[in-house]
Amino acid sequence: MHEKAPVLKGEVRERLGSRYSKRLRDAGRLPVVVYGHGKDPASISVDAKETINYIHHGERVFTIDVAGQQETVLLRDVQFNHLGDGIIHCDLARVDLDETTHAHVHVTLKGDAAGLKEADTLLMHPVTELTVECKLKDLPDEIVVDISELGSGQAIHAGEVTLPSGVKLLSDGEDILAQIVHSGGSTESAEETEVSADAQPEVITEKKEEEKEDE
Amino acid sequence: MALMPKRVKHRKEFRRTSRVNRDATKGNYVAYGDYGLQSLDSAWITARQLEAGRIAAQHYSKRQGKLFIRVFPDKPVSKKPLETRMGKGKADVDYWAARVKRGTMLYEMAGVSESFARQTLVRVAMKMPVRCRFVTRRVSV
Repeated sequence: MHEKAPVLKGEVRERLGSRYSKRLRDAGRLPVVVYGHGKDPASISVDAKETINYIHHGERVFTIDVAGQQETVLLRDVQFNHLGDGIIHCDLARVDLDETTHAHVHVTLKGDAAGLKEADTLLMHPVTELTVECKLKDLPDEIVVDISELGSGQAIHAGEVTLPSGVKLLSDGEDILAQIVHSGGSTESAEETEVSADAQPEVITEKKEEEKEDE
Repeated sequence: MALMPKRVKHRKEFRRTSRVNRDATKGNYVAYGDYGLQSLDSAWITARQLEAGRIAAQHYSKRQGKLFIRVFPDKPVSKKPLETRMGKGKADVDYWAARVKRGTMLYEMAGVSESFARQTLVRVAMKMPVRCRFVTRRVSV
């Protein structure tokens, strides 16, 4: 992964704070902070469009080039805007390629599941990423899970996935990565949660008639 | 048949109209499905409106995929009958509403293609009293 780590050209941010960060974003830059390895944290900015594009394509390891000095960094955290989807800031941690680190890796499902050929079946994938521990040079871009033999009612758990060599799973082994379920309707059984129009909810704090009589 | 809680602590509650027009800090991303319908305004969405959205999705999707309703109408809203003088205590509960802030995910869909989910959720958005937009899962690190 590291061999093709994209190079991001950074510029040192002279003025810090939300006001100046907003001006940077308006100018097409993305404010980031680089920290770790006992060095002082550095506030820099990178090209927003290029960086966000890389992040959306699954890149997690970058080479930051600030005034000719290159550092390998790992994407540690992302801040989103008020609507929860636009990236407005990133945390980048300095790492060595031989350093063991924790990272989240996206899970990609491959193949057409056999169970989906039955009527009213649905592929659910509640967990879309796994937490792994490995050396940075061994960090995979994605973990591919073959679901072609997955039948109806069956599930693939995180513990059953074959990971690349040198990669250790930290997520719960019982996490369900893919599951074929019977849909049984488009919504989560509305009939169960609905009540008739005349019904009123039970009031927990309401005194019962017997208690009232005692008083 | 609209949604409402099964058990409540108190039958009626204050309106609590302040601090409504703010951004949602919880429930503002696609968590269960692959695609979602996000509110761009703050409002009280009634149980009947949520149910209308669910039926609209069901009619279009013809039971394909799975629809998740991410908000629940847990707020009782009381209303005095027409031509009634003021006073004489708080009125009976008229309907139940979900408090929705800007950015709240209203519905999610799973098990369908993006174009089909978009077509379905566009029809659901027609039933909502707020501006909505179609969103997909965001990146996670």
